[in-house]
Amino acid sequence: MRKVRKIYKRQNIKSFIFLILALIVAAISFLPFYWAFSLSIRNPIEAFTVAGLAVPFIQYEPTLNNWKAELETGETQKSLLNSIIIAVGTSILVIVLGTPAAYAIARFRFTKPSNTNITIWFLSQRVLPPVVTVIPFFLIMRFFNLLDTRLALIMINVTFNLPFVVVLMRQAFLDLPIELEEAALVDGAGHFTIFWKISLRLAAPSLVAVLLIVLAFTWNEFLFALTIGTVHVRTIPVQMAGAVDTRGIQFWFLAVRALIAVTPPVILALLVQRYIVRGLTFGAVKG
Amino acid sequence: MLRDNKLKLLFIWPAAMWVLAFTLFPLIYGLRLSLYNVKIGFPDVFIGLKNYISFFSDHYAINSVIVTLIFVFVGVAIEMVLGILLAILFNRKMQIRSFLRTIMTMPLFATPIAVGFLFITIYYEEGGLINGLLNAKIPWLSNPNWALFAIILVDIWQWTPFCFLIFLAALQGVPDDYYEAAKLETKSGWNMFRYITFPMLQPTIIIVLLLRITEAFKIFDIPFSLTTGGPGTATQVLTMYAYRVGMRFFNFGYSSAISFLLFIIVMVFVMAMFKRIKQVYQ
Repeated sequence: MRKVRKIYKRQNIKSFIFLILALIVAAISFLPFYWAFSLSIRNPIEAFTVAGLAVPFIQYEPTLNNWKAELETGETQKSLLNSIIIAVGTSILVIVLGTPAAYAIARFRFTKPSNTNITIWFLSQRVLPPVVTVIPFFLIMRFFNLLDTRLALIMINVTFNLPFVVVLMRQAFLDLPIELEEAALVDGAGHFTIFWKISLRLAAPSLVAVLLIVLAFTWNEFLFALTIGTVHVRTIPVQMAGAVDTRGIQFWFLAVRALIAVTPPVILALLVQRYIVRGLTFGAVKG
Repeated sequence: MLRDNKLKLLFIWPAAMWVLAFTLFPLIYGLRLSLYNVKIGFPDVFIGLKNYISFFSDHYAINSVIVTLIFVFVGVAIEMVLGILLAILFNRKMQIRSFLRTIMTMPLFATPIAVGFLFITIYYEEGGLINGLLNAKIPWLSNPNWALFAIILVDIWQWTPFCFLIFLAALQGVPDDYYEAAKLETKSGWNMFRYITFPMLQPTIIIVLLLRITEAFKIFDIPFSLTTGGPGTATQVLTMYAYRVGMRFFNFGYSSAISFLLFIIVMVFVMAMFKRIKQVYQ
């Protein structure tokens, strides 16, 4: 009896230690977000004087003035609009182009190049560091008079996200039971009807997850937004970099801007949580 | 069973053409640029491999290579080890596990530029979050060595969760029976790790390593926002140097050569793991 109690006690201590450890790890992941929030509701004078964890109401009186001032700025509103248009435009175009291609690789036979090689070829595009194509894209867009347009940024973002969509949707189609499609084929349905009416609908959850991830990737893209969209089509990240350049580092505004930038993609990440392992490993690891 | 139909071409051509047009063409164009002396307003002059040769006698370039390699290998090594360790630690039935997973998902998609700027305030020497909590005066961003470490630390903060989530998913695929059976043979946790956990994780380790290394070589946003490559050139990674040479000094030819050398470095690592990648997508 005593021995059992002893083991039980040891188990309890062990799980308590794990709990503490889990909380510490979670705190480290969360702390920067909390800090940004805490900074964003401080009066400018208190940005430097309040130290440590900076708990609102206890260490300082919170204010929403920074948020109001930032959101009322025309440039911020404009860059929000730019970011949304570019992200949504990219996501739609990339899905329209990528999904049929993914279906073709998953369900139709290709020889020379084989299905595997086509997949690898799409995948290999991700290895290319984007900086390699920055200057070529800059010169090409200049040649076509597309510098500083949303269209140029959508085209570039589609290019970098298309392989991602193809590889992931291929896996999504492969995971569907093929019997349904074969039954429909026997019943005389055409290949396009099967794709449109059956496969696409069954793969809808993956499709939505992929779409949301592309939205987040495009929202976060900086390198090309910086080189191509310098004046009229500044996205949120470019706007943020520009504001630091011209006005210096004002911590309170910087925190507001950081939160405006970070919130949409973080929410998207949480929405696709169940899909994230598969998504970020290009389907190689099933989460 | 794979089918055959003319529809397949209609389905695949738009995407294939798009990728061909928008990556192959810029790539070839970039390769051509790297062999020329390109100045806006002047005709391009062919100079052969001169841009590549001058890379090796340019001490800024060599410095960038060293900074990049340190960043990639120190950062990725720590992320991998931490990721595996945390995954093993929390691969048990705990109610807090799903909470932990949710919180650790948050950094993954956080806009890198915003994260970089935010960490300026976190690393700030007087009244910043870390120095405030530690009650210390660590020169995070003004000392060259600390600055490189600061960049690596941001990367670790953002990407350790990635390794953790993937390894956790992989560990959950290991049947409990394996451990039950092993418990009859040994009591040592190290042996369990060495003979069961590690072999089962190995394919995943290679994939994560590949993904992390190729992504880490692309890093641009964090040093751009957090340190602008400084102090001096202490955190000027290759992507930043290529960008500066191209878009600030408008030396398009040399910039293209630098980025192609970066591309070659990345390719070497990918090729080393190519066999494994092909197996996954068979």
